[in-house]
Amino acid sequence: MILGRVIGEVWATRKHAALSGRKLVIVRPTLWYAPAVDCGHLVAVDSIGVDVGQEVVVCLGAPARRSLGEGVNQPIEAAVMAIVDRVELSADRGQRPLTFVDGHAPNWAENAEREAVPNSVAGGPEPSQGSGQQ
Amino acid sequence: MIRGRVIGSVWATRKVAKLDGQRLVLVAVDRADRVIVAYDTLDAREGQTVLVAVGSGARNVLKAGPDNRELCCDAAIAVLVDGQES
Repeated sequence: MILGRVIGEVWATRKHAALSGRKLVIVRPTLWYAPAVDCGHLVAVDSIGVDVGQEVVVCLGAPARRSLGEGVNQPIEAAVMAIVDRVELSADRGQRPLTFVDGHAPNWAENAEREAVPNSVAGGPEPSQGSGQQ
Repeated sequence: MIRGRVIGSVWATRKVAKLDGQRLVLVAVDRADRVIVAYDTLDAREGQTVLVAVGSGARNVLKAGPDNRELCCDAAIAVLVDGQES
Protein backbone atom coordinates (compact mmCIF):
# COMPACT_ATOMS: atom_id res chain seq x y z
CA MET A 1 0.00 0.00 0.00
CA ILE A 2 1.06 3.63 -0.34
CA LEU A 3 0.21 6.87 1.35
CA GLY A 4 -1.33 9.74 -0.55
CA ARG A 5 -3.61 12.72 -0.40
CA VAL A 6 -6.94 13.02 -2.15
CA ILE A 7 -6.72 16.08 -4.37
CA GLY A 8 -9.84 15.73 -6.46
CA GLU A 9 -12.65 13.67 -7.83
CA VAL A 10 -13.48 12.41 -11.28
CA TRP A 11 -16.95 12.27 -12.75
CA ALA A 12 -17.62 10.20 -15.82
CA THR A 13 -20.96 9.29 -17.32
CA ARG A 14 -19.73 6.83 -19.86
CA LYS A 15 -17.49 4.21 -18.44
CA HIS A 16 -16.95 0.51 -18.13
CA ALA A 17 -19.95 -1.31 -16.73
CA ALA A 18 -17.96 -2.61 -13.79
CA LEU A 19 -17.20 0.95 -12.79
CA SER A 20 -20.79 2.15 -12.68
CA GLY A 21 -21.65 3.48 -9.28
CA ARG A 22 -18.03 3.71 -8.28
CA LYS A 23 -16.60 6.94 -7.01
CA LEU A 24 -13.27 7.85 -8.52
CA VAL A 25 -10.83 10.09 -6.71
CA ILE A 26 -7.49 11.55 -7.71
CA VAL A 27 -4.74 10.69 -5.26
CA ARG A 28 -1.35 12.29 -5.11
CA PRO A 29 1.08 9.80 -3.61
CA THR A 30 3.39 11.02 -0.92
CA LEU A 31 5.60 7.98 -0.63
CA TRP A 32 5.92 5.77 -3.65
CA TYR A 33 7.16 2.27 -4.00
CA ALA A 34 8.06 0.79 -7.36
CA PRO A 35 5.37 2.57 -9.31
CA ALA A 36 4.57 1.18 -12.70
CA VAL A 37 4.37 4.73 -13.95
CA ASP A 38 6.05 7.36 -11.83
CA CYS A 39 3.48 10.06 -12.33
CA GLY A 40 2.38 12.75 -9.97
CA HIS A 41 -1.05 11.32 -9.32
CA LEU A 42 -3.21 8.29 -9.75
CA VAL A 43 -6.94 7.62 -9.91
CA ALA A 44 -8.35 5.25 -7.33
CA VAL A 45 -11.77 3.81 -6.59
CA ASP A 46 -13.23 5.00 -3.32
CA SER A 47 -15.53 2.71 -1.40
CA ILE A 48 -15.26 4.23 2.05
CA GLY A 49 -16.22 7.83 1.34
CA VAL A 50 -13.23 10.12 1.39
CA ASP A 51 -13.18 13.88 1.00
CA VAL A 52 -10.78 16.04 -0.92
CA GLY A 53 -7.78 16.93 1.21
CA GLN A 54 -7.71 13.80 3.30
CA GLU A 55 -4.67 11.60 3.63
CA VAL A 56 -5.39 8.04 2.62
CA VAL A 57 -3.82 4.63 2.22
CA VAL A 58 -4.18 3.26 -1.30
CA CYS A 59 -4.03 -0.41 -2.16
CA LEU A 60 -2.61 -1.25 -5.59
CA GLY A 61 -2.87 -4.09 -8.02
CA ALA A 62 -4.93 -7.24 -7.93
CA PRO A 63 -5.80 -7.05 -4.21
CA ALA A 64 -7.39 -3.67 -4.82
CA ARG A 65 -9.54 -5.12 -7.55
CA ARG A 66 -10.63 -8.21 -5.70
CA SER A 67 -11.54 -6.34 -2.56
CA LEU A 68 -14.13 -4.31 -4.39
CA GLY A 69 -16.35 -7.05 -5.66
CA GLU A 70 -16.94 -10.62 -6.57
CA GLY A 71 -15.65 -10.61 -10.08
CA VAL A 72 -12.04 -10.42 -11.08
CA ASN A 73 -12.70 -8.86 -14.45
CA GLN A 74 -12.91 -5.27 -13.39
CA PRO A 75 -10.66 -2.58 -14.80
CA ILE A 76 -9.50 -1.48 -11.37
CA GLU A 77 -5.95 -1.33 -10.09
CA ALA A 78 -6.11 1.11 -7.21
CA ALA A 79 -8.52 1.41 -4.32
CA VAL A 80 -8.66 3.67 -1.28
CA MET A 81 -8.22 1.41 1.71
CA ALA A 82 -8.14 3.67 4.74
CA ILE A 83 -8.24 7.27 5.87
CA VAL A 84 -5.12 8.22 7.80
CA ASP A 85 -5.60 9.68 11.26
CA ARG A 86 -1.99 9.91 12.29
CA VAL A 87 1.47 8.88 11.18
CA GLU A 88 4.26 8.33 13.65
CA LEU A 89 7.86 8.05 12.55
CA SER A 90 10.51 6.52 14.74
CA ALA A 91 13.45 8.61 15.84
CA ASP A 92 16.02 6.18 14.49
CA ARG A 93 14.70 5.93 11.00
CA GLY A 94 18.09 6.95 9.71
CA GLN A 95 19.50 9.74 7.68
CA ARG A 96 17.53 8.95 4.58
CA PRO A 97 14.93 11.64 3.97
CA LEU A 98 11.38 10.86 3.10
CA THR A 99 10.52 11.36 -0.54
CA PHE A 100 7.52 13.28 -1.67
CA VAL A 101 6.22 13.45 -5.19
CA ASP A 102 6.90 16.91 -6.60
CA GLY A 103 8.06 18.07 -3.22
CA HIS A 104 4.50 17.83 -1.95
CA ALA A 105 4.62 17.34 1.81
CA PRO A 106 1.52 15.90 3.47
CA ASN A 107 0.05 17.69 6.43
CA TRP A 108 1.12 14.95 8.81
CA ALA A 109 4.76 15.18 7.76
CA GLU A 110 5.57 18.29 9.72
CA ASN A 111 4.32 16.89 13.00
CA ALA A 112 5.84 13.52 12.37
CA GLU A 113 9.24 14.99 11.67
CA ARG A 114 9.09 17.07 14.81
CA GLU A 115 8.15 14.09 16.93
CA ALA A 116 10.85 11.99 15.34
CA VAL A 117 13.69 14.37 16.25
CA PRO A 118 12.54 16.17 19.38
CA ASN A 119 15.96 17.46 20.37
CA SER A 120 16.76 19.31 17.23
CA VAL A 121 13.43 20.72 16.17
CA ALA A 122 11.12 20.98 19.15
CA GLY A 123 13.17 23.70 20.79
CA GLY A 124 12.86 26.03 17.85
CA PRO A 125 10.92 29.17 18.74
CA GLU A 126 9.68 29.66 15.22
CA PRO A 127 5.97 28.90 14.88
CA SER A 128 4.90 26.76 11.97
CA GLN A 129 4.35 28.91 8.95
CA GLY A 130 2.47 26.42 6.90
CA SER A 131 -0.29 25.62 9.34
CA GLY A 132 -2.79 27.63 7.36
CA GLN A 133 -2.60 25.49 4.29
CA GLN A 134 -4.70 22.40 4.19
CA MET B 1 9.44 -10.33 -0.95
CA ILE B 2 11.37 -7.17 -0.40
CA ARG B 3 13.58 -6.21 2.49
CA GLY B 4 13.07 -3.08 4.48
CA ARG B 5 13.08 -1.50 7.87
CA VAL B 6 10.14 -0.47 10.00
CA ILE B 7 10.28 3.27 10.53
CA GLY B 8 6.87 4.13 11.90
CA SER B 9 3.19 3.45 12.25
CA VAL B 10 0.01 4.59 10.57
CA TRP B 11 -3.24 5.03 12.44
CA ALA B 12 -6.49 4.88 10.54
CA THR B 13 -9.91 4.64 12.12
CA ARG B 14 -11.91 4.48 8.96
CA LYS B 15 -10.86 1.74 6.64
CA VAL B 16 -12.15 -1.03 4.48
CA ALA B 17 -14.23 -3.55 6.37
CA LYS B 18 -12.76 -6.93 7.30
CA LEU B 19 -9.44 -5.37 8.17
CA ASP B 20 -10.26 -3.73 11.46
CA GLY B 21 -7.82 -4.31 14.25
CA GLN B 22 -4.81 -4.82 12.05
CA ARG B 23 -1.73 -2.71 12.60
CA LEU B 24 -0.32 -0.67 9.76
CA VAL B 25 3.37 0.20 9.69
CA LEU B 26 5.63 2.21 7.45
CA VAL B 27 8.51 0.26 5.95
CA ALA B 28 11.47 1.96 4.29
CA VAL B 29 12.54 -0.22 1.40
CA ASP B 30 16.23 -1.04 1.34
CA ARG B 31 18.30 0.48 -1.47
CA ALA B 32 15.46 2.68 -2.59
CA ASP B 33 14.05 5.95 -1.39
CA ARG B 34 10.65 4.47 -1.03
CA VAL B 35 8.37 3.94 1.91
CA ILE B 36 5.45 1.56 1.76
CA VAL B 37 2.57 0.86 4.10
CA ALA B 38 2.31 -2.75 5.21
CA TYR B 39 0.22 -4.83 7.55
CA ASP B 40 2.02 -6.06 10.62
CA THR B 41 0.81 -9.26 12.26
CA LEU B 42 4.15 -10.17 13.83
CA ASP B 43 4.47 -7.18 16.16
CA ALA B 44 7.55 -5.77 14.49
CA ARG B 45 9.22 -3.08 16.53
CA GLU B 46 10.48 0.14 15.02
CA GLY B 47 13.92 -0.20 13.52
CA GLN B 48 13.43 -3.89 12.87
CA THR B 49 14.58 -5.30 9.56
CA VAL B 50 11.73 -7.17 7.93
CA LEU B 51 10.77 -8.95 4.75
CA VAL B 52 7.55 -7.69 3.26
CA ALA B 53 5.39 -9.81 1.00
CA VAL B 54 3.96 -7.62 -1.72
CA GLY B 55 1.31 -8.16 -4.34
CA SER B 56 -1.38 -10.77 -4.43
CA GLY B 57 0.41 -13.12 -2.08
CA ALA B 58 0.49 -10.63 0.75
CA ARG B 59 -3.06 -11.30 1.86
CA ASN B 60 -2.12 -14.87 2.70
CA VAL B 61 -0.19 -13.44 5.61
CA LEU B 62 -3.38 -12.05 7.10
CA LYS B 63 -5.56 -15.02 6.34
CA ALA B 64 -4.55 -18.29 4.79
CA GLY B 65 -6.66 -20.13 2.34
CA PRO B 66 -8.35 -19.58 -0.96
CA ASP B 67 -11.25 -17.59 0.45
CA ASN B 68 -9.24 -14.52 1.34
CA ARG B 69 -9.55 -12.66 -1.90
CA GLU B 70 -11.76 -9.99 -0.44
CA LEU B 71 -8.92 -8.70 1.74
CA CYS B 72 -7.59 -5.38 0.59
CA CYS B 73 -3.93 -6.02 1.24
CA ASP B 74 -1.00 -5.78 -1.15
CA ALA B 75 1.79 -5.62 1.42
CA ALA B 76 2.26 -7.47 4.69
CA ILE B 77 5.24 -8.23 6.88
CA ALA B 78 6.04 -11.92 6.52
CA VAL B 79 9.44 -12.26 8.17
CA LEU B 80 11.26 -10.55 11.01
CA VAL B 81 14.95 -10.74 10.10
CA ASP B 82 17.27 -11.73 12.94
CA GLY B 83 20.49 -11.68 10.93
CA GLN B 84 21.89 -12.41 7.54
CA GLU B 85 25.14 -13.15 5.79
CA SER B 86 26.10 -11.53 2.57
